Amino acid sequence: MNAELLLWLAVLAPATLALTAVFVRGVRLPLAIVAAGSSVAAILNALIAIFVLSRGPLLAGAGWLRVDALSAYHLALLALVGGGSGLYAVVYLAEEQRHGTLTIGQARTFAGLWCGTLAALAFLLVSNNLGLMWVGLETTTLLTAFLIALHVSRESLEAMWKYLLICSVAIAFAFMGTLLAAAAATTTHGAPAHALFWTDLLAAAPRLNPALMRTAFLFLVVGYGTKAGLAPMHNWLPDAHSQAPAPVSALFSGFMLNAALYCTLRFIPVMNGVPGCAGWAQSLLVGFGIISLLVGAGFILFQRDAKRMLAYCSVEHIGLIALGAGVGGLGTVAALLHSLNHSLAKGLAFFAIGRLGQAHGTHEIARVAGAVRTSRVWGVALLASCLALVGAAPFATFLSELLLIKAVFDTGRTLLFLTVLAALGLAFVGLMRHAIRLAWARGDEPQRQITVGSADVALVGLALAILLVLGVIIPTPLRQAVEAAAGIVGAASPTALVAGARP
Amino acid sequence: MDTLLDRLMLLLILSDLTMLALRRFSAALGLLALQGGLLAALALAAHQPDFTGRAVLLALMGLVLRGVLFPWLLRRTARRAGIVEERRPFVGFVPSLLAGIGLLAAAMAIGARLPIGALPTLGLVVPASLFTVFTGVFLVVARRKALSQCVGYLVLDNGIYGFGVATVGNIPALVELGTLLDALVAVLVMAIAMYRLSEEFDHMNTDQLDTLRG
Repeated sequence: MNAELLLWLAVLAPATLALTAVFVRGVRLPLAIVAAGSSVAAILNALIAIFVLSRGPLLAGAGWLRVDALSAYHLALLALVGGGSGLYAVVYLAEEQRHGTLTIGQARTFAGLWCGTLAALAFLLVSNNLGLMWVGLETTTLLTAFLIALHVSRESLEAMWKYLLICSVAIAFAFMGTLLAAAAATTTHGAPAHALFWTDLLAAAPRLNPALMRTAFLFLVVGYGTKAGLAPMHNWLPDAHSQAPAPVSALFSGFMLNAALYCTLRFIPVMNGVPGCAGWAQSLLVGFGIISLLVGAGFILFQRDAKRMLAYCSVEHIGLIALGAGVGGLGTVAALLHSLNHSLAKGLAFFAIGRLGQAHGTHEIARVAGAVRTSRVWGVALLASCLALVGAAPFATFLSELLLIKAVFDTGRTLLFLTVLAALGLAFVGLMRHAIRLAWARGDEPQRQITVGSADVALVGLALAILLVLGVIIPTPLRQAVEAAAGIVGAASPTALVAGARP
Repeated sequence: MDTLLDRLMLLLILSDLTMLALRRFSAALGLLALQGGLLAALALAAHQPDFTGRAVLLALMGLVLRGVLFPWLLRRTARRAGIVEERRPFVGFVPSLLAGIGLLAAAMAIGARLPIGALPTLGLVVPASLFTVFTGVFLVVARRKALSQCVGYLVLDNGIYGFGVATVGNIPALVELGTLLDALVAVLVMAIAMYRLSEEFDHMNTDQLDTLRG
């Protein structure tokens, strides 16, 4: 099969299914579309990732589409999180349909917006043009807004409006940054034909105006950073994550934050190539990372709603990932590895709390408490995922957090190192206190029983199995993939990178 | 220095300043339409010596969307929700205007420092676009009604568009189309969101959106 065709299909297939969802009639069809869209997108994304990671960068559409190791790694992540949450969404929504809390219209809306979001996420990952990458991310904001308010209530509408406004304004800032970078490229001697192509911008980096590029990156990091949930621009995140239906929260925390951070990471090698700017952009990431880590860890302590608690936990982890990428070297490798582990653990945690919440009609910690008694499968899944999220030993997160801490230690910045340790300790105490209550304390009796099917068991089993296996060994292909992706973020010589990229 | 371009940009600055002091939505939406027209003219003026069909087409599309469709959509939303004016903004109209003058000074200072020289005849374009961006952000932060915040977002969008046209010049048509389409969808989504808000809350005051805390 033609590999270039795959790039087009990865975007067009879910987009087509999204359009189909508008026209379908019937009760079962919308959920079938969610299942089909998620699995087709997952297979295509995984195929591209495997192809690129084994054979090198893939170009299509006269250079407009391009997948290298960094985007391939994120495509693999999208395949995992998007596919998993898609299947979970089918289980979750079918339960709602059984109890009459989901209308056909709502199911249709969900199917259309869900597949559309998957298409937009794939689009931003495969586009080589930084303007189109921006279009992809902005499209995800607009599509997911109504997913947050799928069940209309005062709280969900409030969360939707905050999300829509804050993220749209922020993303507009990111576009301003993109334009400034393009302006810097067009004003140099021998301006590249496509100033917005990442490959061309990277090649032109040594000739770009430093002052203009610094201004550009400030706009970019604030804009994309807001969508990534970096503190202090994270205000929208706890509201949106707590109000959205569980599969949407899982996709938000598990991939959308990473996608926004990916957009920022694209500019790191460019900035490092600009004269006098080497390391400057990364030091900004370290700053935002450490603030997010502290804010996230601190706020976990005071949460009463389990989904808000998980949302603050996402702020903490995205901070950790940004910190790792900012430290560079081993830090970038650890950060990318941690992205995978965090997405798996956080996705599973949202899956569990979503199903338990269906039984209780609320996500309040005090009332959902006693989850292990409510449902053996999902109660254990919740406890295990919380253990993974604090970086407890047999899970993969332990390994990646250890690598991250080592990378920070190696920089020789003692204060930074101690702050990271303290924040991680704080998060451990906060999250475990809630997790133990959630698992064993005495809460309300569930309003209805959860019917655990084979799909539930498969989702929990698969996620836990991957987390446990990766906690013991990192398979060679994964290690090579992460190292190749990290090599793009922290390339020593940008020109060499582009030269290798041209077919 | 191209005086026509400078006159357009002066009008843009004046429309921003007026916007900061306006209470009634109908007037603010009128100004938004005016800005749409100004930007279309700017897009044409930036490509002046050689009008290509593409440039004219994109300018026309911008005019239709930014000058006609967006203000019309918002006017419709305002009418359906039954709101006429911004009653109690977080920052009053006179302080807003004073802040606007400060922002204008800042935009002038930054515009003079940014080393952008794509067009030798840029003149006021960069500071005026920057000021429009600042005004938009200020409106989003300082106004209470969801509709005013949406107007602020569109002003911000106008500023960025102006900046892009003037400084980059040759943005690929595909990217320009994409951003225009995104703006369109953003306005549609915001309009529907505001309609739902007004149905659920009987008002569109965002300060009363405070159930979610912590």
